[in-house]
Amino acid sequence: MAKRITIDPITRIEGHLRIDVEVDNNAVSNAWASCTMWRGIEKILRGRDPRDAWMFTQRFCGVCTTVHAMASVRSVEDALKLEIPPNAQYIRNLILIAHALHDHIVHFYQLSALDWVDILQIPKADPAATSKLAESLSPWTGNSRNQFKAAQDRVNAVAASGQLGIFMNGYWGHPAMRLSPEVNLLAFSHYVQALEFQRKALQVVGLLGSKTPHIQNLTVGGVANAIDLDSAAALNMDRLETIRVLLDEVVQFVNQVYLVDVCAIAAMYPEWFKIGKGVTNYLAVPDLPLDSAGTAYDLPGGYILNGNLAGVHPFKTAADKEFRNAVTEDVTHAYYQGDKPLHPWSGETEPEFTGWNGDQKYSWVKAPRFAGQPMQVGPLSQILVGYAQGHPLTRKYAELAIGKIEAVGGIHVTPDMLHSTLGRHAARAIRAGMLAELAQKHLQLLTDNIAKGDLTVHNPPVFSGEAEGVGTHEAPRGTLSHWVVVKDAKIKNYQAVVPSTWNASPRDASGAHGPYEASLLHTPLARPEEPLEVLRTVHSFDPCMACACHAFDPSGRRIARVKVL
Amino acid sequence: MKQIFIGGIGNILLGDDGAGPYVAHLLESRYDFDAGVEVADLGTPALDLIDRLCGKDAVILIDSIDTDLAPGTVVLYRKAEIMRQAPAARMDPHSPALVDALYSAELFGVAPEEVLLIGIQARGFEPGCNLSAPVKASLDRSIAEVLRELDRLGAGYRCRKHPADTAVWWASEAKSEVAFGH
Repeated sequence: MAKRITIDPITRIEGHLRIDVEVDNNAVSNAWASCTMWRGIEKILRGRDPRDAWMFTQRFCGVCTTVHAMASVRSVEDALKLEIPPNAQYIRNLILIAHALHDHIVHFYQLSALDWVDILQIPKADPAATSKLAESLSPWTGNSRNQFKAAQDRVNAVAASGQLGIFMNGYWGHPAMRLSPEVNLLAFSHYVQALEFQRKALQVVGLLGSKTPHIQNLTVGGVANAIDLDSAAALNMDRLETIRVLLDEVVQFVNQVYLVDVCAIAAMYPEWFKIGKGVTNYLAVPDLPLDSAGTAYDLPGGYILNGNLAGVHPFKTAADKEFRNAVTEDVTHAYYQGDKPLHPWSGETEPEFTGWNGDQKYSWVKAPRFAGQPMQVGPLSQILVGYAQGHPLTRKYAELAIGKIEAVGGIHVTPDMLHSTLGRHAARAIRAGMLAELAQKHLQLLTDNIAKGDLTVHNPPVFSGEAEGVGTHEAPRGTLSHWVVVKDAKIKNYQAVVPSTWNASPRDASGAHGPYEASLLHTPLARPEEPLEVLRTVHSFDPCMACACHAFDPSGRRIARVKVL
Repeated sequence: MKQIFIGGIGNILLGDDGAGPYVAHLLESRYDFDAGVEVADLGTPALDLIDRLCGKDAVILIDSIDTDLAPGTVVLYRKAEIMRQAPAARMDPHSPALVDALYSAELFGVAPEEVLLIGIQARGFEPGCNLSAPVKASLDRSIAEVLRELDRLGAGYRCRKHPADTAVWWASEAKSEVAFGH
């Protein structure tokens, strides 16, 4: 008899992701992913000036503010066929890279590491042995015995106080936790250190965007940064140097700590390269444009169907014709009116809430499809699409990670094994390594271009008649696309197809599962009432149910509920 | 000099959830503050809230609340009350918010000593850029609470003769917007 488990944020406050799984013989036999909150924010944009849209869209989500701003200006620029000056491309790219590095570091250390790291094992660790192990893995200067001892003391103090505080909700002592006390201590110590480097990455966003979390420097047609090497108020050599120093520190943390930790932990959980496969259709868009017209990019895009890497289809541009035409959204199992899949330009968002029913409608997330297929998006998609095309930078960091995992655990990771829960973590770390290198490259491109005397940052938009545009961005969580219809200089329709919509998609009319759902099937659970394994796989996608409302609930009922029926 | 951070929290696209950012923008337009006092519209922050709390002596946050009280009611919470809550399980990056940020800051030894959360009871969170009438009418009360707290902390502020642009840009052309559910 199958048991039903629901993992559900109990109030409407912040988390909006609900996962239901059926468990048979201690393995997942069926799964449903749903979003518990209505997402109709796009309607606010109708009738507004397209030049202002980005200021509203960057409020969709407090975590991914800049990505929604960027996709929005790009959608209007695409509708107007407006080219972007090189300086503006480089400044935008630097903001996107810095934000992504921040996001990937936060995801690993703050949001998912404790799925694998058992805090309550840390008091048993030997700081000297931890230091020796860490120094064998990396030249990082933050790996001394004293630093590990200090981190251990923090955990001991928390444990001694009887108040677990931030660690109140972990599945400590779960049989699926298998790291040695020393590796647990190593990861925890870096979790504390990560704070400093995620902050430095955000400082770069702030220096270029003038504010965080909501950047102020975008404009349709470019950026609003004044570049003047002789002015203290403008983007000048001092500020570029400050950015360079910050980026260098973040780059070092990514290469010497994040990438190493992911590989070391992955090497100790080899079975997780076989769990969490799910949908093996992958989608990524090219990003980090290198010229005004967007004909060359530093991140490759394309799609892969049924895990067939040899048959990869590259996209030439960020708004590739095939992509523009192939995206639809299905609402068969989502709480919206409608009886057929619609293209985003003619998309509708009319709610029809009927309550959770796994056989009928059960989610506020629509089911996006590419040529009728569910697609997985995120760093894994981007890495596989790039690797399959022989993209040199992707190959460089993928091979580096594969080598590290082999060195630590003796496991040879093949590209096929990346279709997995750990594959998604490894791909994110590989992507961070690539982005770190690209951060330095794009800062140099910007500096060189300014030094040549090019100070242009903006091409003015001109509106006439009706036009459709799509703006894409390969965001930290995957392919983001904003779709706009502009008529007489006003927004006629606007739809955002966000990465977590692709991944958290419910079933479509054909009954095909979305990526979260498919990835959970057959997952073994050591203790179904403590579904740590489900969280590991869901977290590996870096889920973000955007549109979060943020009210504070003083009753303290905000704990996610695990309900076993 | 005390380092004080004042942050408005909420989503300006979701009705009364925008009350916190609204108050932050009104404060910035009406007052000049001592150096050491920083005011910001934080939107809907997640773990980056830790960075805002780090190393501050005192933090004043303005956020909407979801209780049984009448819309527009203003309720004050101090650090101990906030931390009586359990941190949320981390399903997505929005889950670890204020309580988690405070717990993390405590763990890292950088938590502010004083925290005041000014909660504004919302009437609704439906998509739309306008505040409901009772919430809008309560904003001056929240501003007065911020100033009272600054007085208590010994931080200075001066009323501007000519308030700057309120910069509440999102509400200005939202009059035609009919929020869902009304």
